[in-house]
This record gives sequence, structure tokens and C-alpha cells, in this order.
Amino acid sequence: MTELIEITIDGRKVAVEKGTKILSAAKELGIEIPTLCHHEALPPDGNCRLCQVEVVERGKRKLAVSCMYPVRGPMEVFTNTERVMDARRSVIRLHLNRCPQATILQDLAREYGVEPLDERFVAEHDDLCIRCGRCVRACAALGNNCLGFAGRGWDRTIIPPFDEPPVGCLGCAACAEVCPTGAIKVREEGNIREIWGREFRLVRCTSCGEYFATKEQLEKVDSCGVEVSEICPHCRKRDEAKRMKIS
Amino acid sequence: MKLNNPRALEEYRVSLPPKGGGAPVRVRVCAGTGCIASGSQAVYDAFVREAENHGMTIGVDFAADTTGCHGFCENGPIVQIDPANIFYQHVTPDDVPEIFEKTIREGESVERLLYRDAATKKRCKSEGEIPFYTHQQRIVLQRTGHIDPTDINDYIREDGYSGLVKALSFSPKEVVDEVIKSGLRGRGGGGFPTGTKWESARIVESEKKYVVANGDEGDPGAFMNRSLMEGDPHSIIEGMIIGAWAVGAGNGYIYVRDEYPLAVSNLRRAIVEAQRLGLLGTDILGSGFDFDIEITRGGGAFVCGESTALMASIEGMAGVPRVKYIRSTEKGLWDAPAVLNNVETWSDIPRIILNGAAWYAGIGTENNSGTKVFSLVGKIKNSGLVEVPLGTPLRKIIFDIGGGVMNNREFKAVQSGGPSGGCLPASKLDTPVDFDHLKEAGAMMGSGGLIIMDDHTCMVNVAQYFIDFLVGECCGKCTPCREGLHAMQVLLHGLTSGTARPGDVALLREIAESVRDTSLCGLGQTSANPVLSTMKFFPEEYEEHEKEGFCRAGVCSGLYAVSIDPETCTGCGMCARVCPANAISGEKKQVHVVDHALCITCGSCVDACRFNAILIERGNSND
Repeated sequence: MTELIEITIDGRKVAVEKGTKILSAAKELGIEIPTLCHHEALPPDGNCRLCQVEVVERGKRKLAVSCMYPVRGPMEVFTNTERVMDARRSVIRLHLNRCPQATILQDLAREYGVEPLDERFVAEHDDLCIRCGRCVRACAALGNNCLGFAGRGWDRTIIPPFDEPPVGCLGCAACAEVCPTGAIKVREEGNIREIWGREFRLVRCTSCGEYFATKEQLEKVDSCGVEVSEICPHCRKRDEAKRMKIS
Repeated sequence: MKLNNPRALEEYRVSLPPKGGGAPVRVRVCAGTGCIASGSQAVYDAFVREAENHGMTIGVDFAADTTGCHGFCENGPIVQIDPANIFYQHVTPDDVPEIFEKTIREGESVERLLYRDAATKKRCKSEGEIPFYTHQQRIVLQRTGHIDPTDINDYIREDGYSGLVKALSFSPKEVVDEVIKSGLRGRGGGGFPTGTKWESARIVESEKKYVVANGDEGDPGAFMNRSLMEGDPHSIIEGMIIGAWAVGAGNGYIYVRDEYPLAVSNLRRAIVEAQRLGLLGTDILGSGFDFDIEITRGGGAFVCGESTALMASIEGMAGVPRVKYIRSTEKGLWDAPAVLNNVETWSDIPRIILNGAAWYAGIGTENNSGTKVFSLVGKIKNSGLVEVPLGTPLRKIIFDIGGGVMNNREFKAVQSGGPSGGCLPASKLDTPVDFDHLKEAGAMMGSGGLIIMDDHTCMVNVAQYFIDFLVGECCGKCTPCREGLHAMQVLLHGLTSGTARPGDVALLREIAESVRDTSLCGLGQTSANPVLSTMKFFPEEYEEHEKEGFCRAGVCSGLYAVSIDPETCTGCGMCARVCPANAISGEKKQVHVVDHALCITCGSCVDACRFNAILIERGNSND
């Protein structure tokens, strides 16, 4: 049995498994903590710095990013103190400075009452990428590693290798799917999907007739020794549900 | 030849011929970075050539060695002659024949090559008479400058590897306890108690454990780690073997900045020689303990000095820090427990074990035991490497050892702790230099860089310099550091160019504080220090830059006007000669004048005037 540890978040008690991150523990209590770089399906990275909370542990009070801070012993967590709000506001402002057009940031700015910095600080008005690397982690998690960071500091960007259309890309668009700001553009016209400067042929679902995957995706599945289904996830779910009802 | 037990090492030590093969005269030529840059290799070659001219046999009648840094870099190349114990400075190859005639043949000193003490006007014959050295206590640097770092026998002659022998007779727990009792704190700047760190790694059960030496010194103006790696590599290696024994590590890495090729080659040679004698490898000194060391050359990023980035870099990944809510001593290198210490910390270990914890704890002050090496640079008379007990006041380091500010200008500030440190003003000169007092004063120990600034230094410009440096070195992973440093840079450049807007200083402070509070790694969290510490101690300069467009130090071009004080001007003409815009005129020995219409406020005249006759005034010269 894994060890359960009782902690307090905003005055409410919750018992979680040792090693649980504060963000998940808060979720169990229905306490919402804003995140940008965090994604349930991906390993945490702690880079956007938005999900800060205050932690009181062994007599020390400090700011910590809740997506990565593990529960290892009794602790008290505060998710809405003035210090936390200040930290979040400053992080939102800095993000907004990079990506003034990103709707998720505009919404956060409204919610937290953040005024953007003036135009002196903005590099490119149409930049939507907050450099959180969710796309990089998603592509790595799928075993393709077609995206990576390039450059340092202020010039850090996310690009495919050599900033060329990535050879190993399957056109699955998982990168675009997980992007919190819509910075990765996917164009679909007819049976063609364009992403990262490459075109992919889309395959129709044999059941509903909708395009649902690229040829390359299905080939990859096949190469992994998994039976390829030419039925889209929607139809598969529907069929599965039907089967369950019958039995 | 492998030394199979401690006795074999002792026998080997005794069997070694005396240093220099017993030659009656030995010349030590400094081959530290500073002296090599000022031509010490040619001086060494001249000694060898001259000895041959005199029909002497090297190693019999005469011995010449290149050693590590002697520390007094300002006055290099430095040559010391044993056994007469003579210290020569600024030696050129042309001086060598005279040194041979007078010193080596006749036993007399060459007066003009001796150091002259500015206070007493007396020539100092030996190291022991020079104030720069007499106020120091050299423990870490004891051997650099004396031994040939490329010869393991030189190290062994001077008690080398005796600490290891003693450590192997202790249990690992006893070794850790000894380090805890010594009070040694991490010399890389964090000041974390070394023994406590070791203990947390020791108690973790793990098949693999590592010890790592951080030699990625990257602070502008800092070169103490470099001198240590170049000049006494075996002390680092011996410390690491002891540490590995204490925590149960089988492998070690020395992470060296790739811009330090001599450090890499001396360390590499030292590792091979230690392996040859069985001091590294399997069954070290017959103890059954296996441990080996590899060198990793850094990729040149400042952030790789940060522990998690350094480990990522060793693992072959990009040197980017990771969130470390779990300590490296639990999950560090390749997720195995790893003890990372600065090379200076490792170098302290053999002596602590050999001389005992009580000896070490007796040096320095309570909670800050031992000595620390500093590189003293900037506008200081005696630039060089300085080692003092912790708790020594800044004033003593800067004035007694450093000789005070260059050109007798006024002291304005000292930047301690590198880009992440802080600037302390004259009112803080009596601060004892240790981890806690420096932090309390608003700076930090850092790895040991001390940059001295005179009154012709604009503190806003200094902050801008460090922020420019950090913008280039920021990895870009986390938002506050990546975006915040850039915003700070924009604001600082606005202040120093006279284009600041009302409220910019307040905004700068706000951003700096948030970068400090919310960044991911140590680099980011401390990156705002140059701004915050200069703001704390020199708020008026920020105010003047923002509100009046005035730079009182006469540094920020266009933000001041110069005029010449008729009372102090001697009419020497120096200012007119250096002025690139021909804006200064005057007859010889007559008071000079500045034509404001031509002046481009470059500040050359301010630097050039030896009488402080150039006055900095409000108002743009171009108005």
C-alpha cells in the first residue's frame, strides 16, 4: 500500500499518496490553479511559472510551482494569498508581453487584472508561442521527437530539426492539439493536412466517412505491431458503447 | 607501478629524489593564466637557455619549473628563486642573464625587479615581505606556485594523498562526520554545509552514486577555480576520492569549462598519473574500494554552473536546469544520488581529513570556518588571487591586500559574487567577508569574484553590464528569466541612453523582484541582484538617470557635460590628447577648456586626467 499523507490546502484537508503533486491534490479538492505549460498527458516541466502556490513545510514558507512540487510530508498550501497572486500577475504580464495576441493570456490578464507592459517590450506582435514546450513533450511522448528548442534566452524558439519541414513528422498534429495558445498552424483542405511545412494525405473512416488520420500515422501504428483500425475514434467509441449495451 | 597499500605510498614518498633533483638553485616561473599572458613561457625558456650558456646541467646544477599561479597577477610574470627565497616581478627574458649573473652566481638580488611597497617605499626581497601576501592565509593555494602541477611526485612530496590514506582508515560515516565537524561550507557560493550534503547522499540506498566537481567557473572576472585546477589538480582529485569513499560513489566527473584548456590538460594528466599509481581505479591502495574520474568539458554556457544544468550537460543533454524539488543527493546524475561540490570545496577536503576537523574549524569564524580564495579585480592596484580566512573585513582585502583603488581614485563599490551577486558601497567596507554577513549586507559570496569600482563608475551602467551578460546566458526555459531579463535590459538601456520614461525605475524594480521570486533556477532567482543591490545602495543614480537624464559618474554618453576645473588643471594636455573629437584646447601649462559643441561625452578625458580636474556637470554637452 502506498503511503497516504494528509495535507492542508487553503484550510481544507486532503489525504494523497506520497509523491502526488500539489496541483493534483488541489484538483481533488476542486481548487483550481491556473496552468499553461502543464498537460495531464505529459511529463511536467515547471517552466511557465504560472501555477505558483505558497507552501509551508518544516517551518519554511516559500513559493513553489504546484505542477512539480511533490507531497512528501505534512504541509500547508495556500493557493490565493497576495504573494501568490503577485507572482501569477507578474508571470501573466511577462507572457502577455511576448504574446499580446494570445487569447488564453488575454483572458488570464482580465481575470487577474493585469495591465500589459508598453510597446517597448514587445518583440513581434503576432508571436503566439509562449515557449512552454508542450508540443516538444507531446512529440517526444509519441516517440517522434520532431520538435525541439533552439536558441537561448530571449531568442529561444521551438523548431523542427534545422528549421526544415520535419522528415519524421507523421502529421498527427498532437503538437497543435496540446498547444495552449494555438501557435501551431494546421491547415486542412479536402484530404490534405498541412503542418510544419509538410503536406499529409488524410484517410477516411470506413464507418462514418470523415477524415480522421494521416496515412503516416496509420503506417506508424502498423509498424508498432498494433492492429490498424480504419475506423475513427468516434465511431470506435460508439461501436464499443453499442456492444456494451447488448451484453 | 601500482601502490598496493598505504605503506607502499609512504615508501614511495620517501624514495622520491628531492625537488629539482637536489640542484642547489631552483627557479619557479609562474605559469598561471595571468603570467602566461604576460609572457612567462618565454621567461622560462630564457632560464633554460641561460643555464645551458653557463654550462649548467638542468636537474643537477640548476632546476627550473613552471608552476601554477603565484597569485600576484598584476605584477607578472613572476619568478621566485629558491633556496634564497627571492621574489621577482615583471620579469622579461632580457632580465634573465642579469638574474643569472647576480642572483644565481653571486647570491645578490636584482633591485629593480623586487616589489616596492608603496607605503614604506622599501623593496621587498621575498614573498613574505610583500603586504599582498602577508595579510593572506594560503591553505587552498598553498601548493599552487610551489609545485609543478604536471608532476604527481611534486604533490606526493608535499603530503599528497596522505589525507586519502587517513580517510581510508576511517569508516565512511566517520569521514562524513569529520567534514561536518569542520564546518566546511560549499565554496561555489551557495554555502551549503558540505558534510550535511554528503550525509544525505551517504544514507541513500543506491547501486550507483556519483561525485561531481564543478569547475565551470563563468563569472566575469573570476579565475580562482581556474588557477586551482591548473595549479593543484591532485588536491581536487584526492578530495573527490575521499568524498567518493564517504558517500559510496564509484564514479566521479570533473566538469570543466572548455575555455580552460590548461586546466583540462593538467587535470587529465593528473588523473592518468593517479591511475598509474593505483590511487584511482580498482582496489585503491589495496582497500578494495573502486573509484574513477572522468573529465567533462563544458559547452560554454554560464548556466551549466547551475547544478541541475551541469548534470544535464554531463548526461549529454542541453545544459538546461530542471525544477529540483528533489535534491541531487537523492536523484541527481542519471537519477542516481550525486554529490556536487565546487573544485575549491573538494580541494579543502584532503587537508581537513589530514589535519583534523578541529584545525579547520579553528580558522575563520563561527559558522564560517576555513579560508576562501577570491579573485580581486577591477580598479584595484594589486589584481590577483587572494586567500583569506572567512570573516576578514572587505576593507582589509581591498586596501591592505589589494593596495586600494587604482590611480588613487575614490572607492565607490565592490561587486561580490559575480553577476548574481551584489554591489556594496563604501559604507559596507567593514562587512566581514563570509556567507552570512555578505548576504545580510545585500550581496553574496558567490564563487569568490571581487570586482572593485572607482568613482568613475555609473552604477546603472554596471547593472546594465551584468544584465546584458545574463540576457546572453539565460537558457530561456522559464518565463520570468527569459522575458523578465529582456524587459529589464530594455529599461536599463533606456535609463543609460536618456530615453527613460517616468516610472521606469519603479517598473524595473517591480520586474526585478518578480524575476527573483518566480524564476526556476538559481541563475534566474539571483539574476536580478545586480539591479536590486545597486538600487538599494545607489538609488539617487537611478533617480537622476530617469528624472534628469543625468549620469553623475560621467559614464553614460550624452547624460552629462564636462568642464575643466581651473583650480586643479595643470595644463598637462593629457585630456586634449585623448579627446577623439578635438573638443579640448589650451596652451601648454595653461588651463584647458572644453568646447561643448564638439564634445561627444565619451569620458576619455575623465579617465585620462590624473588630477581629477574634469568636472561632471548636469546638462548635455550637445545642447
